[in-house]
Amino acid sequence: MGPGERVVAPRYADWAELRAAESARMLKACTACGACFEACPMIAYVPDAQGASASETVRGVLAILQGGEGDAAARGWVAACTRSAVCIPACPEAVDPMLLLRLAKFTAQENGTIPQRDAKDAMSRVKAFARLGFSETEQKEWL
Amino acid sequence: MTDALFWYGCNMTRHAEIIRLGTQMLAAVGVAAAPTGGPSACCGSPKESTPRIAEGMANRTMQRFNQSGAAQVITWCPTCHMNLDDFMGATHGKQAESAHLAQALWQRREALAPLLTQTVAGRVLIDMHIGNRTGVNEAVPGLLRLIPGVTVLEHPYRAPSYMCFGLASIPGALADAKANMLAAMAATGADTLVSIFHSCHRELVGLERTHGIRVVNWVHLLAEGMGLAYQDEYKAWRNSDDPEAAIGADRIAAAGEEAVRKLVLPELARPR
Repeated sequence: MGPGERVVAPRYADWAELRAAESARMLKACTACGACFEACPMIAYVPDAQGASASETVRGVLAILQGGEGDAAARGWVAACTRSAVCIPACPEAVDPMLLLRLAKFTAQENGTIPQRDAKDAMSRVKAFARLGFSETEQKEWL
Repeated sequence: MTDALFWYGCNMTRHAEIIRLGTQMLAAVGVAAAPTGGPSACCGSPKESTPRIAEGMANRTMQRFNQSGAAQVITWCPTCHMNLDDFMGATHGKQAESAHLAQALWQRREALAPLLTQTVAGRVLIDMHIGNRTGVNEAVPGLLRLIPGVTVLEHPYRAPSYMCFGLASIPGALADAKANMLAAMAATGADTLVSIFHSCHRELVGLERTHGIRVVNWVHLLAEGMGLAYQDEYKAWRNSDDPEAAIGADRIAAAGEEAVRKLVLPELARPR
């Protein structure tokens, strides 16, 4: 392989194209069977999802993906997804429900349907720990 | 120009000794890897609530990697690793091969095994998560079994998510994972809990003080087997009665007192 050659070729021009293409694919493929919801280990930590219909909750996630509010169970599930990935093999339609939830979360946080994570101090904290733990040379070379 | 980058991520700045040890281990098996990370080499995940900003950070990092000429990017953080494979790789392509540090060492285990000359007594249980797609759940047990004296115990429990970070913000989830892991240790007779990732390590080290077990990262254990010296300062600070005194006034002043008081000490003093 020569300089500048790629071992993996890009599939999308940018994140917007990726999100649009993947969202369209998932909306077409998903049958809202609910298998992803039933497999998810985080449902136990979503109060609004207790006793909720798996199928209806997935429909709520699809609504959030398209810019809607979804229902409380769907919003709670989207917020609680920690990417355990067990939904991926559980899906009979190869939707990749983990990506579905992640893209729905992007949209929900952008339009205010669910609150954004407070990360305003994240990088300042990273730098403060670096100043404590890295030598001056390491700070110059590693950061 | 460098042969390989050791992309340690951003939150690993809490664990400088793991970056040093990882770099030493790679060199010992023939991989010259330059550590890179922090805000200037971020995958964007800390800002994923605002995808436009996350994308900008990820783009900058991907351009940096592709311009470095490195043939391999060796990862540490599972979030970075997965982002490299999905959003970053899908929109930029990849000019470098990538593998997690544990995979990179496991692939070179024939060179690594003769370097593990020190006996390390321990009946260890590994804190595994079900969502891991970096190959570490397979590589780390194999690496630890190369260390003389270490017994790696098996238990079917796997915590949700791919590391502890995601669980920490979901009420009840991290506490359940810790309780289940402690129960698994009791069931298997383990005396040492081994974290795989940095976020797990910083969430679990407090158990050393509260439950009388040993908590180490897998890199620490491998270093002990190789006879490499290290200090786990984060654990020492976290389990200290007085983290401010444990860090020391001179280091706090050098790092910026206001920032340390606002950003570091509250994390170290949070409930275990």
